[in-house]
Amino acid sequence: MSSEQDHLKETDTEARFGFKKEQQSAFQTEKGLTEETIRLISEDKDEPDWMLDRRLRALRQFHEMPMPTDWPGQPDLSEVDIDEIVPYIRPDIDARGGVDDWEDLPEEIQDTFDKLGIPEAEKNALSGVGAQYESEIVYQNMQEQWEEKGVIFCDMDKAVQEYPDLVEEYFMTKCVPPSDNKFAALHGAVWSGGSFVYVPEGVTVEMPVQAYFRMNSEGMGQFEHTLIVAEENSEVHYIEGCSAPKYSAFNLHSGCVEVFVKDGAHVQYSTVQNWSKNTYNLNTKRAIVERDATMEWVSGSMGSKATMLYPCTILKGPGATDNHITIAFAGEGQDIDTGAKVYHNAPNTKSTIESKSISKDGGRTNYRGLVHIADGAEDSSTSVECDALMFDNESTSDTMPYMEIEESKVDVAHEATVGKIGDEDVFYLQSRGLDDDDAKQMIVAGFIEPITEELPIEYAVELNRLIELEMEGSLG
Amino acid sequence: MSKQVHRTLSESQVTAISEELNEPDWLRELRLDALQSLDELEFPDVIQTPGRTWTDLSKLDFEALVDPEGALEQKERVAPEGVEVLSFAEALEAHESLVREHFGSVVDPQENYLTALQTALFTTGTVIYVPEGVEAQAATIRTTMAGQSLFNYTLIIAEQSSSVTILERQETAEEGEFDERYYSGIVELVAGENSYVQYGSLQDLTENTYNYGLKRADTDTYATANWIDCNVGSRLTKTSVETVLSGEASESQIVGAFYGHDDQHFDVDARVWHENEHTTADLVTRGVIDDEARSVYEGVQDVGREAWNTSSYQRENTLMLSDESEADASPKLIINNHDTEASHSATVGQVDEEDLFYMKSRSVDEHLAKNMLVSGFFVPVLEEIEVEELREDLNGRIQDRLAQRTA
Repeated sequence: MSSEQDHLKETDTEARFGFKKEQQSAFQTEKGLTEETIRLISEDKDEPDWMLDRRLRALRQFHEMPMPTDWPGQPDLSEVDIDEIVPYIRPDIDARGGVDDWEDLPEEIQDTFDKLGIPEAEKNALSGVGAQYESEIVYQNMQEQWEEKGVIFCDMDKAVQEYPDLVEEYFMTKCVPPSDNKFAALHGAVWSGGSFVYVPEGVTVEMPVQAYFRMNSEGMGQFEHTLIVAEENSEVHYIEGCSAPKYSAFNLHSGCVEVFVKDGAHVQYSTVQNWSKNTYNLNTKRAIVERDATMEWVSGSMGSKATMLYPCTILKGPGATDNHITIAFAGEGQDIDTGAKVYHNAPNTKSTIESKSISKDGGRTNYRGLVHIADGAEDSSTSVECDALMFDNESTSDTMPYMEIEESKVDVAHEATVGKIGDEDVFYLQSRGLDDDDAKQMIVAGFIEPITEELPIEYAVELNRLIELEMEGSLG
Repeated sequence: MSKQVHRTLSESQVTAISEELNEPDWLRELRLDALQSLDELEFPDVIQTPGRTWTDLSKLDFEALVDPEGALEQKERVAPEGVEVLSFAEALEAHESLVREHFGSVVDPQENYLTALQTALFTTGTVIYVPEGVEAQAATIRTTMAGQSLFNYTLIIAEQSSSVTILERQETAEEGEFDERYYSGIVELVAGENSYVQYGSLQDLTENTYNYGLKRADTDTYATANWIDCNVGSRLTKTSVETVLSGEASESQIVGAFYGHDDQHFDVDARVWHENEHTTADLVTRGVIDDEARSVYEGVQDVGREAWNTSSYQRENTLMLSDESEADASPKLIINNHDTEASHSATVGQVDEEDLFYMKSRSVDEHLAKNMLVSGFFVPVLEEIEVEELREDLNGRIQDRLAQRTA
């Protein structure tokens, strides 16, 4: 590897994602999880009683539910000791709900997001931005034209205060109840921050809105909640980015995303996750899609020590459509267990799942997916395609799809391939004057192109850059 | 209640079975050990997804199903030249050390609750011994169960550079009135260096029979073990057909066919482990389900760390003829060596509308047209079957089923 590449690698990964800031907080809870902790969080946020009640109920459910340990081939979660996690850290800023000018942030935090390139992206390509540091949103802004049309894009905590009716109706009720799984219950108890997006009927938000989640402190847990409600015939694209510096102790990220896509609406949810390699990333994401509406999940899982994430779509209305595009990249010490779940509960529903994974240096990727077609969901179709690329013999690539078909008038297809990088492809590119590293990078870039072309250009470039960085030094 | 059956079983019952068959001490000990182990063993794995268990074995009342003293059957064995097709008693007398060496070497008697139950209680079985270098024609075995429960054990030993085709059929005798029956069959196939074995099975038990099956091959260098597993009968079948490719450059093909109707439940698994270099596997399963039948398929292609230059393919297709039926499928890839070419595909659907339309435009009525398309659906599987007798039997059973279809 040339010294220039060395330099690039250091400046990029270290400076852009791996840098650490001094811990400065206005309020933080003790480690661990007790009713007392929950009451403190709720009190610090000045929440209404109904939200405190929901948190406490979720906490009880969390204590009652067992850790998931019996999934075939699942990542090892034995290190995840909830009592070692600091669930809530409020950074030291004055304005609750986030400032609307980057200049108003403390220098430490401002510098963090500058390095991550968020203000720059906001100017060029986004309708709105939210930025979360530790447990709270610190920056929130949206272009005026959308506000005038009634679009809401705000901090979830602020939404509890300002839009209690909407939040009370949709928050962890019909989509992801805390009883869904142990980590959803945990999330329900300690959630903090995240985004609330509301798009009124008929409004198309032309440029994406973005939230960026940053964990800075060692041993913390981040539990942001994202709730998106797209009313009839509306359209929105929400993008989420995440990162954290690496520490020796583990961090836990257990977010929850709930999306309501009403009749004829269209929601795209894109995320590129680059958590540090000591982070356990255990999320629950689900969308309920009504008549003739469309949900699209675009996910890139690059970071984390272990990820278990299966964005789920419930196709509830006739003619509803789901598209999943996912890419997973597992390097040394990483176990990326990700996939998709789709429930076809109405006639004429359609889903496509496209999964690409790359494993190298002993990393493991697994596609775990479930497609369920309920009795009566006539003329539905689903197509699942999984492709995996393996770089070496220390790595592992698994594919575990599950199909449950209760309806006969359907079209169900699943296909998967696994292989190594084609020697002939590399040879061809080398014969055109590329060196081995460049040839392989180009093949990988081509392999993931179906994903990158779904992302706005800034993010596509970002994703390619991340993969290049991951691959540098390990090839050739 | 389900796993309580062994509470009613006693050592003296197992010893009695062993003495009746005049078995050597080591086999009796193996049976008694298996009986002892029942307390700790679990049912074979079944797939679970949120809120659903694809095949719930714990609902079966084994205590009522299993009658260790009521194991009646008729057996036919046809041996081609050069091959010994023997009952266990005959095999123990003629080749005790051979049987002792291989019995339980491929399927651990204590692998799960049902294999241990089978080891403790089996009363009938066949040992097929193909000596080194023998190239044999087809051996056939027909097992007709006449009692309430039957445990049938098949051990195949193919020595170096031998080749054989084996056809085994499971049926139920007409006499005997039982509300429910239980049939359990284990097949162990030891494929020696450079040997070739094709084993075909047609399960056509009456539809009040609960059926458990485990067939597994272990292949030595250059060996080929091919399975053909056809399931037509039984009320509920949980069966797994498996090959451990332990020898370099060994191969396996697993072909499966099933046709379920009424409220039949088929849980059919095909699994292959690539454990050495240059191994090849091809898994092909085709099934039809009608009425309220339900099918569950799990396919596993597991490529080990040392399995360089592996080729592994899997295809599964299910045809649903009725709206009340359900098809579940899970084809899995577990890949630990990157020098692998592996793929799998699975489809579920109904008879192709365009095909049907074409047939109707040729003035074939819809019912007949559908039957012809279903027959055609099985052709790729039928073509893999080398023994004509099995091919005709299976095709005959498919035609019977089609004839029973109401319009």
